[in-house]
Amino acid sequence: MNSSAVARRRFPLSIVALIVMVVILALLPFYIRGYWIRVLTTLFMSAVLAEALNLVVGYAGYAAFGNGVFFGIGAYTTAVLMTRLGWSFFPAMAASCFLAAALAFILGWPVLRLRGHYFAIATIGINMAVMEIVTYIGITGGGKGISLPIYPGNIVKQGLFFYYCMFILLILSVAITYWVANSRLGYGLRAIKTEPEAAEVMGVNTTLYKVLAWSISAALTGVAGSINAYWLTFLEPLFVFDIMISVEAFVMVLLGGPATIFGPVIGAFFLKLLSELIWSQFTLIHMGVLGLIIVIITLFLPSGIMGLWRQITLRWSKVRTTAANQ
Amino acid sequence: MDWQVIINGILLGGLYGLAAVGFSLIWGVMNIVDLAQGAYLTLGAYITFWLFKLWGVDPFLTLPVSAIILFSLGFIVESQIIKRVLRYGFVMLLVVTYGLNLLLQNAMLVAWSADYRSVTPSYSGAGISIAGVNIPYIRLALFIAALLLVALLTIFLNKTRIGNAIRATALNRLAANLVGIRTEFIYALTYSLAAALVGMAGSLISMVYTVSPNLGGAFMTKIFVVTVLGGFGSLPGAVLGGLILGITEALTASYIAPGLMNAVSFILLVVILIFRPQGLMGKQFYGA
Repeated sequence: MNSSAVARRRFPLSIVALIVMVVILALLPFYIRGYWIRVLTTLFMSAVLAEALNLVVGYAGYAAFGNGVFFGIGAYTTAVLMTRLGWSFFPAMAASCFLAAALAFILGWPVLRLRGHYFAIATIGINMAVMEIVTYIGITGGGKGISLPIYPGNIVKQGLFFYYCMFILLILSVAITYWVANSRLGYGLRAIKTEPEAAEVMGVNTTLYKVLAWSISAALTGVAGSINAYWLTFLEPLFVFDIMISVEAFVMVLLGGPATIFGPVIGAFFLKLLSELIWSQFTLIHMGVLGLIIVIITLFLPSGIMGLWRQITLRWSKVRTTAANQ
Repeated sequence: MDWQVIINGILLGGLYGLAAVGFSLIWGVMNIVDLAQGAYLTLGAYITFWLFKLWGVDPFLTLPVSAIILFSLGFIVESQIIKRVLRYGFVMLLVVTYGLNLLLQNAMLVAWSADYRSVTPSYSGAGISIAGVNIPYIRLALFIAALLLVALLTIFLNKTRIGNAIRATALNRLAANLVGIRTEFIYALTYSLAAALVGMAGSLISMVYTVSPNLGGAFMTKIFVVTVLGGFGSLPGAVLGGLILGITEALTASYIAPGLMNAVSFILLVVILIFRPQGLMGKQFYGA
């Protein structure tokens, strides 16, 4: 079977499809209404969160259930720097990125030694602890929340600004995932996921790799939180530190296919569009439907959309080769 | 030292311990972190509330009803969903149990609205006072009931044939299978038993907390802390963890700041995980 030929034939096609997709999304805001610009911005944000989580969950195999903590930290860093210290947005965003990554880097050394359930529970604990602290201290506005300065310019300009911010961040996070997946780091992470002891013996600095992956993930999540904060202009601890942020990202990763480059993006688009089109009107049962979808995915689609796609293409190529051989 | 604070903490800690026992058991035997426990707890609380509200049943007498309903629900959930997801590993199990939690919680929200309700039996206000320390009867009764249930479970696990089978399965599933234990049934039984226990915890909790669909979410985080403190799979550990958490919370609330109560317990959780992941009791569930 000549599988390399199949791969070579498909490769440019997917690149072309990708470029077309990017161009369409880049030009789209000039043709759609403000509502859809907002929807797409949220969609990009979810995709970024899923992609960031994918680095830890998909590649390294660590169930960071409380990854949303970096979203909240990014949001609050931006909010505090802009309102209390009068920074402008982009420096504040850079600081949010740095702070989120630094926190993951520092916490990563002790926490990433934990495996399986222990790590998952530890991240939930960190998420809740940071939320409680942010609620308690005064500089963040506490439980009453904090208001950010509003983006200067009219509402159309504002919509475009956040659309492109999130879009660029999404492209960046896909590029980073692509780079990680094909770098030493990515191979190391996959080795850690399969067999940590063996990876260690093979000369992979397991702790460093895991910490790096988590820090990159935290940095992306932090920037998403930062842009989201400036976009919404009002923050509350209960909202940005909601454990649901991580859980939704988790579902998107699983739905799309963990440890794939586009899986989480596809999962995010699928879930968010579905939610926007079908059940967002019924706010009362919103959570329940999400729960139901989660159960259905785990029961019937455990390897995600990308896994299903791979199975189908594999079957096709098999059929084609057997047909060619006969 | 303010004894009132300590006593309040201890009395609350017993309930925390009972709430965590089922979670700890599932973790120890099946190696699952069951995030749906919060919803089971809430359901137990609602069962007590409705029986009390509609027919005036004494809250303590609703315990068996909660146990039976949640045992059945647990059995259905395990045999229809958890069993099928087991082979996909723990990440999937975390997510699927969280999904179940969302589903159940939302179902309760739709059925019974987000209103805060409370169970108020005639004896809810009374209490005794010993050396300046007030002990409400109901809190004392809840504490005793919680300890009794944990003691019963301990006896069940250690003295009965089925209990031994559960422990053997926890130790080594394959070997248990080889000596003729139907481990698939044991898994279903353990899961249902844990659901029944946390449901009874919910019934007891409904007498001192207001009941709403979010009740379980608030307790879920306590359950984590207690289980990690005590060491998963350890029943005495769960009780000890519960007491420590209860006392820590009470002391934080009265000496540091009430607003930091939860922050302190989460920090405690992370610190214990980092420095002593096997928990205070040191030993994991009967081996493994």
